[in-house]
Amino acid sequence: MRLVVLLTVLLAGCATPPGPAPEGEPKPEAPPPVAAPTPKENIAIAGLKDSARTEAAAGNLAGAAASLERALRIEPRNPRLWHELARVRLKQGQYAQAESVAARSNSWVGEDKALRAENWRLISESRNARGDQEGAKAALEAASRVAP
Amino acid sequence: MLRRRPKLWKIVRLALLATVLAVAGFTLYLDFRVRSEFEGRRFALPARIYARPLELHAGLRIAQADVEDELRSLGYREAPPEGEAGWFSKKDDSLEIALRPFVFWDGKQPAKRVTVVFDQNRIAALRDTGGAELALARLEPLAIGGIYPAGNEDRVLVRVGDVPKHFVQALIAVEDRSYFSHAGFDLRGLARAARSVFSDKVQGGSTITQQLVKNFFLTPERTLQRKFTELLMAVLLEIHYDKNEILETYLNEIYFGQDRDRAIHGVGLAAQFYFGKEVQYLTAAESALLVGMVRGPAIYDPYRHPQRALERRNLVLRETRDQKGITPDEYAEARGSPLNVSKKTGTGTTPYPAFLQLVHRQLRRDYDEADLRSEGLRIFTTLDPRVQDAAETALAKRLAQYDKDKRFGQQAGLEGAVVVTDPQSGEVQALVGGRDPRYRGYNRALDAARPVGSLLKPAIYLTALSEPARYTLLTPIDDGPFVWKSRGAPDWQPANYDKKFHGIVPLRTALAQSYNAAAARLGTDLGIERVLDNVRRLGVDRPLRPFASTLLGAVELSPFEVAQMYQTIASGGFRSPLRAIRDVTTQEGRPLSRYPLAVEQVFAPEPIYLLAAAMQDVVREGTAQGLNRFLPPEIAAAGKTGTTDEQRDAWFAGFTGDRLGIVWLGYDDNRAARLSGAAAALPIWGDMMSALAPEPLALAKPERIELVSIDPQTGLRGGASCPGATEVPFVQGSAPSERAPCSGAMDAAVEVVGKSVERAKSWLDRLFGR
Repeated sequence: MRLVVLLTVLLAGCATPPGPAPEGEPKPEAPPPVAAPTPKENIAIAGLKDSARTEAAAGNLAGAAASLERALRIEPRNPRLWHELARVRLKQGQYAQAESVAARSNSWVGEDKALRAENWRLISESRNARGDQEGAKAALEAASRVAP
Repeated sequence: MLRRRPKLWKIVRLALLATVLAVAGFTLYLDFRVRSEFEGRRFALPARIYARPLELHAGLRIAQADVEDELRSLGYREAPPEGEAGWFSKKDDSLEIALRPFVFWDGKQPAKRVTVVFDQNRIAALRDTGGAELALARLEPLAIGGIYPAGNEDRVLVRVGDVPKHFVQALIAVEDRSYFSHAGFDLRGLARAARSVFSDKVQGGSTITQQLVKNFFLTPERTLQRKFTELLMAVLLEIHYDKNEILETYLNEIYFGQDRDRAIHGVGLAAQFYFGKEVQYLTAAESALLVGMVRGPAIYDPYRHPQRALERRNLVLRETRDQKGITPDEYAEARGSPLNVSKKTGTGTTPYPAFLQLVHRQLRRDYDEADLRSEGLRIFTTLDPRVQDAAETALAKRLAQYDKDKRFGQQAGLEGAVVVTDPQSGEVQALVGGRDPRYRGYNRALDAARPVGSLLKPAIYLTALSEPARYTLLTPIDDGPFVWKSRGAPDWQPANYDKKFHGIVPLRTALAQSYNAAAARLGTDLGIERVLDNVRRLGVDRPLRPFASTLLGAVELSPFEVAQMYQTIASGGFRSPLRAIRDVTTQEGRPLSRYPLAVEQVFAPEPIYLLAAAMQDVVREGTAQGLNRFLPPEIAAAGKTGTTDEQRDAWFAGFTGDRLGIVWLGYDDNRAARLSGAAAALPIWGDMMSALAPEPLALAKPERIELVSIDPQTGLRGGASCPGATEVPFVQGSAPSERAPCSGAMDAAVEVVGKSVERAKSWLDRLFGR
């Protein structure tokens, strides 16, 4: 049974292209031209997210985190912001923080399954980096349960 | 006789030589002192502490009046839209603001003009002068105090080039006309000074150099020997340093009076303190007023002696004109202007001593005390002045009323403390340490460790709800008489607040009504150590005695520690250390340290969600019902009251969507009173939160939580046909499966259809990967 699950996970891992999910966040490594914020998004949040991305791309991770925290003060329940902060923490090598912040994102994620899965994948990545293979695997399974 | 003459001559010669040598030696010694001290002399600059900056953006919930208040407290003038930055102007429901430049921790923000459009306590739009939409505008943060060097000397350093010409000219005209030509002393002045030593008249005629030497190196006594030393040192100073260097040091050194316990030094701070502006913007009249104060800041205090200060100012203006420092036209204009000093805020070293104490303690973990008092660090904190004012006002108002009514004890001296934080980030927004918020002593919010009573109960229920197979919000709990026997200790028999026992009640009612017997029985069933372990996980660091009585709050915590504990509940099981500081930079704005948002998930989301929902019941129908007089029901605040033995302490801990607040009341000598959490502490919490227009508490519903319709009569599954049926949250699979008799076939069908729709939806989701 376990083997089957594992196989499914592995296959799912192969089947899913490593690129972003359809409506997911673009990879921060290669920031695309700034997308026009959706009409619903607060322009203050959009602006701060942009500066966080620019800062992260320039290697200023502390600055990126500060911009995201600033945005979180405006919208503390925005799961996307928590997710991006988790991403910055991961890059900073703060794995425990990355995991907790991604979990925080999950608590506000609601019906956005793609984001929930992204958070689990990030948790998995972070557990891997800490050397917690078992935990990483479990997180990956959680991700594929949410959005296989 | 004749024979003795050569000998006498010899003695005189020796004496003369000794004197010359002594004078030379003394001069060398003074020279060494002047050079080493002046060279190494750096003004000790206090660490400057700022509140949070107000960030304006479209969508922000804030009243126009609150933005105006914030601007006024920052020293912005309500003025027609023109001139240097630092004003705002009202037009219908919009504000035009000329923001001053400010160096933030993340860089310099230049001066700029913004227009803020309000729509019913909300910012509808934010634009620049060209009408283009702006994402954000950050007001500069309010300076709320400092960590000062000895003598509470405060100053803001300026370069001589930043000081307006007319200031320097007025200073020269009045204090030392030949400053730019003399060698450190002025013969005529010296003659006057010499006379004054003997005549005891007010002395004048010290050059600027001499005044500086006097302030810098010497004690204030007035003797001939000291005068001589001063003179010598002044000359030495002039030999080693140029006029501009000496003048600059002087401008930063001069004393301009007291702000309570804070000493105002230097023209930079004087400009800010008296006129609310940067030194370069001082007008001729303002400069003359300050120059006039050099001779006697107390005598010419423009607040206490406005007439005398005005006359002195005009005298300075006249002298400056006579010395050609200003033109006759400038003179006429300046003379005609009013004193123009800014409204006195008069808060001394800080208006918020309790919060500053917290900042200082958190800083001391990372910085040397000496550096804090001398390096001019800039500390950006989390204090929200609006929240702080609401907390202070609520506490003061209610305590005054309680004093009058003598409701909670006959004697005066009832004390209190308040802590307010942001539940999402752990940032401390307000801290009140006692009924007099300006008092710089005992800080009850941080240091008064008091029994917490029922405030510990949520930890018991959290422990229970972590086992959904055994406990749900509806699990029957026995509130019958309870006796706890343990070896070596007297029997423990907790009684209820109403002196009654209530038999079998649902778990959420036991918490809502704060039944002691039920909580004690539940807590001891679960295991004292298990419960206390969860108290620690919630964030309480203090050692806890493993006694049954600890469960009912026989444990002493400060309001701040209680805030840390409830923070974890309010943020969905994520613990964040309470922070008062965001960033620290050097004087110039180079970042030194950040105190980032840190979260740690310490509880699974489901039990925390159930607990928070039960704490909403405490407010909706339990011991904190009184809150409904203060907040509309849609706020759905969660809370817990606390009252201790012999009603010595009253607590209320609660949270809304955007704030967590802890209120404590009690007497410092811990005497028995008639306090209760609901009657004494809750109204303060209610006043404070309602003044802040809180966000509704919308709990983040975890995936594994389902809402099930429950018939209140039986506690079984109900439905539309059950009168008074309510939706109760359960961890999936833990809700009762049995249906109440009232629930008809219709209800069951609706439920089944609902379930299958849900199932079909998730099947479709899976199919389409969404």
